[in-house]
Amino acid sequence: MAAIIDIQPQNANRPRRATSDSLISRVLIIGAAVGFMGLMFVLPLVIIFQEAFRKGWEGFMEAFDDGATMHAIWLTLKVAAITVPLNTLFGLAAAWCVSRFQFRGKRFLTSLIELPLWVSPVIAGMIYVLLFGAQGLFGPALKEHGIKIIFALPGIVLSTIFVTFTFVARILAPQMEAQGQAEEEAAMTLGANGWQMFWRVTLPKIKWGLLYGIILCNARSMGEFGAVSVVSGHIRNKTNTVPLHIEVLYNEYQFVPAFAVASMLALLALVTLILKTLTTSQRRAA
Amino acid sequence: MSIHIHHISKTFGSFNALKNVDLEVGTGELVALLGPSGSGKTTLLRIIAGLEFADAGEGSIQFHGVDVTNRSAYERKAGFVFQNYALFNHMTVAENIAFGLRVMPRATRPDREDIDKAVTELLRRIALEGYGSRYPSQLSGGQKQRVALARALAVGPQVLLLDEPFGALDAKVRKTLRKWLRQFHNETKVATLFVTHDQDEAFELADRVVVLHEGDIQQIGSPQQLREHPKNEFVADFLDCVMI
Repeated sequence: MAAIIDIQPQNANRPRRATSDSLISRVLIIGAAVGFMGLMFVLPLVIIFQEAFRKGWEGFMEAFDDGATMHAIWLTLKVAAITVPLNTLFGLAAAWCVSRFQFRGKRFLTSLIELPLWVSPVIAGMIYVLLFGAQGLFGPALKEHGIKIIFALPGIVLSTIFVTFTFVARILAPQMEAQGQAEEEAAMTLGANGWQMFWRVTLPKIKWGLLYGIILCNARSMGEFGAVSVVSGHIRNKTNTVPLHIEVLYNEYQFVPAFAVASMLALLALVTLILKTLTTSQRRAA
Repeated sequence: MSIHIHHISKTFGSFNALKNVDLEVGTGELVALLGPSGSGKTTLLRIIAGLEFADAGEGSIQFHGVDVTNRSAYERKAGFVFQNYALFNHMTVAENIAFGLRVMPRATRPDREDIDKAVTELLRRIALEGYGSRYPSQLSGGQKQRVALARALAVGPQVLLLDEPFGALDAKVRKTLRKWLRQFHNETKVATLFVTHDQDEAFELADRVVVLHEGDIQQIGSPQQLREHPKNEFVADFLDCVMI
């Protein structure tokens, strides 16, 4: 009782904001949000690592002492190493185009950039099968020249590029539009050519946004399942990427290896999250 | 060093921003481009700098007798001071001023020591000695203005173009900077064209004033000529408005 009486005058003095909620509704809303996050995101993450280490550190390491697993990891790294630089270039070009020029169909191009976000990844894979597969549009011609795209690395890279194209462009376009181009114009009147203008003026202005886009693009290209699943053909030691390999392991009841490899992807997600937070604060500061 | 502009027109869609403009700025001259907003003065300035291109046709632009009509902005190297300065925010004051020298082709680029010397000298001339290592965000409006001017002058431009040079400054700083700019110009002698919508500014600073209205030059003359013999109703009206 005494405590309640003590607190009341303070509460009475505290300025009440019009938007402030009652204690009960605050507890309920925050509780619901935290509970949901815990249930949906934190708990699964904990379980992944718990399952991965169920047979201890040695069991965990054994999972990587396997040819097919190592091949899958190498393949995924290879795909990311090709996809991320290309999409960085494409994204920069697209953002430059959209933010610097006025032209017909600009709005259409802008929504095209977002296409990967609203098209199911399975469809992204299917279109390449329909184009380059054995029964596809260019299938016979490709076969004649001995070029294999579907069920091979090129198909995996193509569909990954499709799915991850959006990130760099989507982050840079609004940023570049907001910054305007006065500094670029100043650089030009000072005698800088296009290349010098880009490296010395534009890039320093957008570097954090660009890095953020590259990080997201990388995370997605390593984790993509749906589109890759359609074009890869799941050939072990050949076209299985890390996400596909995890599914194979899981379906073969090899739970510890499956979760051990999965924990690598989870770790990638955590690192991405940390880098994203860092670059976001840098972007705000800039 | 002079600017010659012949028959320059510019249309945006169906809007005639500039109609057959002819103008000369002589060596060592300081000319004001005066007019209400939307009269095409900034457009003309940007066309001279090569940031925008005039309608194709008979129009031409010459810097000191050399035709630059079809040259790009970076080939023309007109000194340009932007309305909001457009300083490079990620570079220090010294780096900003040195930019134009550092992007020169290797064959003509001065070596590092000479660039440093040039920057120090310019900082002295704009009365910002010791500010070289600061960033633009640490400067006041008037200081930024002077850095922008030093940056434009560092490459020894053939012409100097200023877009509303005092537009964003408060009245007191404006007055001081005006005097300073006039002195500065007397020393450098570069053909200078500046845009303003402020009659007082134009009359106090310029050798000649060009009155622009709806893309048309209404009258060109010394401040005295304009005041005593306004050529048409618009000029008389426009100048009177502010004199009251």
